[in-house]
Amino acid sequence: MRGTRLRGRPELYTSYQQDMALLNTTPKKVFVGVLLVLALLMPFSVDDDILQLLATACVFAVGAIGLNIVTGYAGQVSLGHAFFVAIGAYTASVLSGDPDGRVLGFGVTEVPVWLLAAGLLAAAFGALVAPLAARLRGLYLAIVTLGLVFIGQFVFREWTDVAGPPDIGRPAPVPTLFGVRIDVDGEFITRVQKLYWLMLVVLVIFAVLARNLVRSRTGRAFAAIRDRDIAAAVIGVPLTRYKVIAFAISSFYAGVAGALLYVIPQTFTAGNFSLLMSVQFIAMILIGGVATISGSILGALFITLLPRITSELPAVLPFISDSATGGGITVVQAEAILYGLLIIGFLLFEPRGLFGIWIRVRNYWKAWPFSY
Amino acid sequence: MSEFIQSLVRGLGNGSVYGLLAFGFVIIYKSMGVISFAQPAFMLAGAVTVTYLVTSMNFYLAVIVAAVGVALLGMGVERAVLRPMIGKPVFVISIITLGVDVVIRVLVGGWLGLDVRPVQDPWQLNTVSLLGTEVQQRYLAMFVTTMVLVAILFAFFRYSRMGLAMRAAAFDQEVALAQGVSVGTVFSLSWAIAGALAAVAGMFVSTGAGVDQQLWIIALKALPVIILGGLDSLGGAVIAGLIVGVIESLIGTYGAGIAPWMGGEFSLVTPYLVMMIVLLVRPYGLFGTREVVRI
Amino acid sequence: MSVRRITAALAVPLAVTMVLTGCRAQESTAPQQGKEGNKVDFGVTNEPCPEAIDKSKGCIYLGTISDLTEGPFRALAVPITDSQKAFWKRVNQQGGIGGYEIDVTKYVKDNKYNPQIHNQVYQEIKPNILAIAQTLGSPTTAAILPDLKSSNIVAAPASWTSLWGFEDVLIESGANYCIESMNSVDYAVDKLSAKSVMAVHLAGDYGDDAAAGAKFAAEKRGMTFTDVKTATGQDNQSAAIDAIVSGNPSVVILTNSPTDAAVIIGQAAARGFKGKFIGTSPTWNPGLLQSPAAPAIKALYLQSGPWEPFGTDSPGHKAMREALGNIPSKNDGYTSGWVWSYPLKAALTKAAENKDLTRAGLLAAVKSLKSVDYEGMLPQGAGNYADDPNDAVFRQTEISQPDETAASGVKVIEKFFTGPTAKDFDFSKPCYQ
Repeated sequence: MRGTRLRGRPELYTSYQQDMALLNTTPKKVFVGVLLVLALLMPFSVDDDILQLLATACVFAVGAIGLNIVTGYAGQVSLGHAFFVAIGAYTASVLSGDPDGRVLGFGVTEVPVWLLAAGLLAAAFGALVAPLAARLRGLYLAIVTLGLVFIGQFVFREWTDVAGPPDIGRPAPVPTLFGVRIDVDGEFITRVQKLYWLMLVVLVIFAVLARNLVRSRTGRAFAAIRDRDIAAAVIGVPLTRYKVIAFAISSFYAGVAGALLYVIPQTFTAGNFSLLMSVQFIAMILIGGVATISGSILGALFITLLPRITSELPAVLPFISDSATGGGITVVQAEAILYGLLIIGFLLFEPRGLFGIWIRVRNYWKAWPFSY
Repeated sequence: MSEFIQSLVRGLGNGSVYGLLAFGFVIIYKSMGVISFAQPAFMLAGAVTVTYLVTSMNFYLAVIVAAVGVALLGMGVERAVLRPMIGKPVFVISIITLGVDVVIRVLVGGWLGLDVRPVQDPWQLNTVSLLGTEVQQRYLAMFVTTMVLVAILFAFFRYSRMGLAMRAAAFDQEVALAQGVSVGTVFSLSWAIAGALAAVAGMFVSTGAGVDQQLWIIALKALPVIILGGLDSLGGAVIAGLIVGVIESLIGTYGAGIAPWMGGEFSLVTPYLVMMIVLLVRPYGLFGTREVVRI
Repeated sequence: MSVRRITAALAVPLAVTMVLTGCRAQESTAPQQGKEGNKVDFGVTNEPCPEAIDKSKGCIYLGTISDLTEGPFRALAVPITDSQKAFWKRVNQQGGIGGYEIDVTKYVKDNKYNPQIHNQVYQEIKPNILAIAQTLGSPTTAAILPDLKSSNIVAAPASWTSLWGFEDVLIESGANYCIESMNSVDYAVDKLSAKSVMAVHLAGDYGDDAAAGAKFAAEKRGMTFTDVKTATGQDNQSAAIDAIVSGNPSVVILTNSPTDAAVIIGQAAARGFKGKFIGTSPTWNPGLLQSPAAPAIKALYLQSGPWEPFGTDSPGHKAMREALGNIPSKNDGYTSGWVWSYPLKAALTKAAENKDLTRAGLLAAVKSLKSVDYEGMLPQGAGNYADDPNDAVFRQTEISQPDETAASGVKVIEKFFTGPTAKDFDFSKPCYQ
């Protein structure tokens, strides 16, 4: 039964459906709509280099949402996300690769086809790993999944038919949509603009899917497992089955992200899928906000844009020598240090992440002008 | 036979270094429940400090001063950025240590300069006869030093008041606090010990060729080691370190003959494979405490 | 309803203004008129450089993307970058090129030896630069290569991968790893009467390229060849050491990092290995002469190189030492940075003669370069980017040996030469393929 809305009482729900709706309040609907319009118009207002970062952030956001499903919602900390991203990247590029090229390729270049295949194969690997993972908890699980990353890197460095020579790598997936290449400059719009739209659309689709998943029966089961797995088992949640599902879905997202991640730079190597990438994904969901979809997106934006932000900062800080290599602390060193300091400072300031800041701001304005 | 003994000693030597590093990880884990990603930076900082100190003092003194220096650095880091995070989610704290790692590593890397720097250890590449086989002194030094350090630390935990406090805090922080244990001091001390051990480990790793900026990567080997030994077992960390070191070394010596397909980089994944196989049987590592499950 | 109306009232004009006044730079593809009748498009300004010597001149901006903070090649990357700064400063002092001075200080970016970061910082500086003075590393350069080609941006790579010889936009200098190790093997046969050769190498373009060259030469000269792959890390070398000691080849071609090489040489020697090691130039660091392995290194190690070391007596080397002044460590990274800059200088000069300093104009100038004047740092005939790879590839290398008295710790014992293998080698594809 659909409840009625009472004007001026946004927090009052008269039915469960209303409470659990995708966008449960009017301001939310409006803001999401406006944000979406702005995001779609972005390519007309920013330069290609920023747009490329934003596009990359969209792809990372898909991966981060995936990690948030398994780590944030189901409580299984995984440092193996980079491995599943690698599976996606190689599946997609093998499928869409040039059949006559020096590395394996089948020439299936339609985006939906290789995107789905990348996701499915990664999901299959996720489901394969999950039974082992289901036996482990906490940091044990984190480091065992980290083992996957090292083993994956080893395999892809050795398997040169698929991955190309180590350190030279192979070409990234070739995207065509209905027979038209989308990674070439058009007359009016550049390839980066086109790819940005593609990646934004993919992000929106997968964000909505994830949002729907977590407010379903499965999502509630995940939360139950995260909060207390024994209790969840007692109320009849089959632990192993749901952990397998969580890993499979999370890996599907990782695979999709992997498939798209290198379309812009057009080439990638096995070295890309390292511990660093896994940790970056973890940082994204921690900084964005654990167990929130919007947090995953914000976190991905933050981590992707952070190097760019730090590279703008030294210009306004007078004590850093402007030479890149001279004595004292150089600009590039300052950038690297700032990167570390910003992550530390940010988490010290708000351990709940960007989402935590949002909650604080919202609560402040809710009670405005009264503080409590 | 002599090939086997040489390989074994090498494995024990490298394994002791892994053990020292793992010991540091486990101490921090036991006190705070956190995996510290700052250990690689501490290791590099220790090794670089030694290279600068040996030019003006005795090698052993230099190592001690460097270990104390890095211990103080560890305490400082704990006090400045980790103490405010008490009670916050452990993975958030881990990511903070990652930020610490980047900052320290960049600074120390700048200090290191461009050239490989020697630690000027007394062992060099000299050998000594053991069971009729010439083995390198430095591997024996690694093994013996590790055993001595571990024995001292175990005695400290067992017999001193502070050690008792640390064990109490590791067992149950709140109860320890209620009994008058200064948990803050426990945190501080565990970071200091971990820092000092990392510095010693860094020095040992650099004995063969010197310090370069990539030294820190070796600290990552401690991750599978701590899981293999059991996250909360100090003894387990050392034993697992030795196990990984020896297996790695033996595979290096005999692997190519048995299974040439494994390739030269196989040693990078050996620790993880060993870890996974063991975890299939024992989900809490070799010596880890099985979690008591209750609702 | 009020909330929606207010938000809509705010959002719609906001969005519209963003679109209309948008800060997106209109990429002007049409070349403009610059100084002294030059056609220019990107990265060339009429305003003087930030550190201009002659304020009346314009400025050509070149980008630098290198491994400057925490990556594995920092010890080479920092001196390369410093040396290039000194190189272009000298060019500016000599009057610049075509009414312009050249700036390599404003757009210096750190890639942390990560292809993804490399690509991102490249995109960041791309609109503001004419060409790239240094793109360090092979996986990193591979990550921007497609874009360099489609944007006609010329770049000087800081690595010696054989692939670069097939790319018009990359202006590499000296012999690649593959040819370098062919020459090393030939040298070992002719001068050290070697009978067997083993390549101990990292995976990837650097190691695989060198191993491919060594293998080719070994087959050609009828020697036994063993290929041993090794990983990075001082604790990961025991497999390689065991292979060397048990295989006992007469010469080992080493391609890995300095400390790993020292571990291998020191320990193999300690275990009675008497053969020679020949390493490529990234394998060397002067600091190794203080390491415990130093006696073994002095006895067994030789080093091949695409050009002669820091202390060599040539006009180019002298100019470099003068320009650098007093530097704390005389690393051969400086030499490399300096040598790698000559082709770009030659190309810019040629483009200025053609009055076309656009990206396309610079690329055209590169394609017409038959030889580059390296001021004696490389012999005549080096720096051919006009002919096809097999004719253009530079096939000479030199061999040095460790020497504490030399500036960068090595002195030349065999001047530039081309071994019989490299001379006949048909360079029609990258060696590692």
